[in-house]
Amino acid sequence: METGKKILRFSLSWRIQHFLLMVSVILLIITGFALRYHDTWLGRFLIFIEGGFEARGTIHRISAILLFITGIYHLIYIIFTSEGRHEFIELLPRKKDFKDFVESFRYDIGKNERPPMYGRYSYKEKIQYWAFFIFFLIMTLSGFVLWFHNYLFGIFPKWFFDLSQALHSATATLIITFLVLWHLYLVHLSPGNFPMNSSFWHGYVSEEWLKENHYLEYLDIKNKESER
Amino acid sequence: MRYGLIFLFFFFVIGQANSQLKNDRCFVCHGVKNFGVIEQGRFKSLYVSREEFESSVHSKFLCVACHVDVRVIPHFTKPKKIHCLQCHFEGNTVGAPVTAKPEKYKESVHSRAIARGKNAPDCKDCHTVHYVKKPEDPSSSVYKTKIPELCGRCHQTVRDEYYSSIHWAGIQRGVLESAVCSDCHREHDILPPEDPRSSLNPKNVVGTCDKCHSDVKLMKRVGVPVKNPEAYKESFHGIALKFGVVRAANCASCHEYHDVLPSRDPKSPIHPANLAKTCGKCHPRANENVAKGKFHILPGEKEAGIVYYVYTFFKWFTLIVLAGLFTHIVLDLIGHFRRKRKSVE
Repeated sequence: METGKKILRFSLSWRIQHFLLMVSVILLIITGFALRYHDTWLGRFLIFIEGGFEARGTIHRISAILLFITGIYHLIYIIFTSEGRHEFIELLPRKKDFKDFVESFRYDIGKNERPPMYGRYSYKEKIQYWAFFIFFLIMTLSGFVLWFHNYLFGIFPKWFFDLSQALHSATATLIITFLVLWHLYLVHLSPGNFPMNSSFWHGYVSEEWLKENHYLEYLDIKNKESER
Repeated sequence: MRYGLIFLFFFFVIGQANSQLKNDRCFVCHGVKNFGVIEQGRFKSLYVSREEFESSVHSKFLCVACHVDVRVIPHFTKPKKIHCLQCHFEGNTVGAPVTAKPEKYKESVHSRAIARGKNAPDCKDCHTVHYVKKPEDPSSSVYKTKIPELCGRCHQTVRDEYYSSIHWAGIQRGVLESAVCSDCHREHDILPPEDPRSSLNPKNVVGTCDKCHSDVKLMKRVGVPVKNPEAYKESFHGIALKFGVVRAANCASCHEYHDVLPSRDPKSPIHPANLAKTCGKCHPRANENVAKGKFHILPGEKEAGIVYYVYTFFKWFTLIVLAGLFTHIVLDLIGHFRRKRKSVE
């Protein structure tokens, strides 16, 4: 373990939200994947360990409720708590993010000597947040239509259900792509985080890590400390 | 000397059989059109058409080869009932073909009904007694076009339903591949739908229809979309059914079975005007909205309309995202390792 000071980067509420999101999304992906690839050995195996075809659907729906609760929790968090409002403002995209993207590209190909200085959330993390924001909306809406098709049959035309189904499955593929490539890279495989950035669990990062990866946030914390 | 006499006697008997029991002798009486007996107050014809018999698969056989208890002609007693399995058994010496069909028949609803003492058909009721012919022979009792009438002798209501179906219309137009009773119910091993081995068990219905409806050449010739079963198998109903959820709709749930009709026919349960009622069998809130859309179309096909465009957009979008993220990661790693090498130097 690295020696040196530890800094609390994620509050308990943030970590609970992440944990709920992680559990529900993993369950949704496993059970959804089983249905989508039902005619492959992996799909059949997953359906088997999920307790059969109908149990698979039940687990998927329970996980969906969990995800929905997480979404509501997050909404309340970013609207009604000052911490949440602050986090949300930090996550909003701004001009600097586009500049950072170009700078980081130049740094990677060797044109720049120093990496861009990131605030609390770099453009990489913002992409992640907003991608999941949109995924959440598409998946809960289309999933709702599919789940309650029996109640909505009288309201929407048939093609609307076909569309929901196509959207639900296409977005799911996109989410898996995104999670495997981007999230896995950012917090597990990227140099400096390998094998896992464990701050999602206890909330702490080392001062060194913060200085290297989120320099502006680091400065901000230092300034606040010296003000005291 | 005594043995010699017995020997001579045998020669005499065999000789008489050969010379006197030829079919000619039988047809002296049985070849007369109104030959018969009065049995329980009713006339019973004992006529056998020689012409028809001689075009049957058994034409080469002697009448007495089956009616073994007729030893002298004319016979004065009623010959005993005979059965096909007298010859058609494993190891028979007369060269009668042995197939699994009698064994299959023993499992069938008909055979079981007979065992319970009910009136049900066995071999002779479908294949006839004296005029057994190959099913390919248009004059055979089991020739394809004659099957609905044959089964309909007992199953009249079903026959009449079937006669209004597109399958019968196809047969009448000369499309002999069109389905008759035996194509779905099978011929010998007709089992009740509750039996998991039955071709009509909910789990097997799709495969039963699929036999013909996934035949590309045939479906093209008769103008029926061939991709429907495939798209069905990828639908919620199809997947659920495959995993044993038998309450999910199979082909027959919506298309009915004996009176299958195309959607353009106003009597068809899948005619747009009837869809609300058809879907309503399982989905109680279904109304005319269920007709606004396409059926049995995979999202990757252009006919799917808006669904196709959304599907295609996402396909490309996912690929672009994949490529973009991948490039970013590779660049990051290349940069990282170059800097590391530099710092080591």
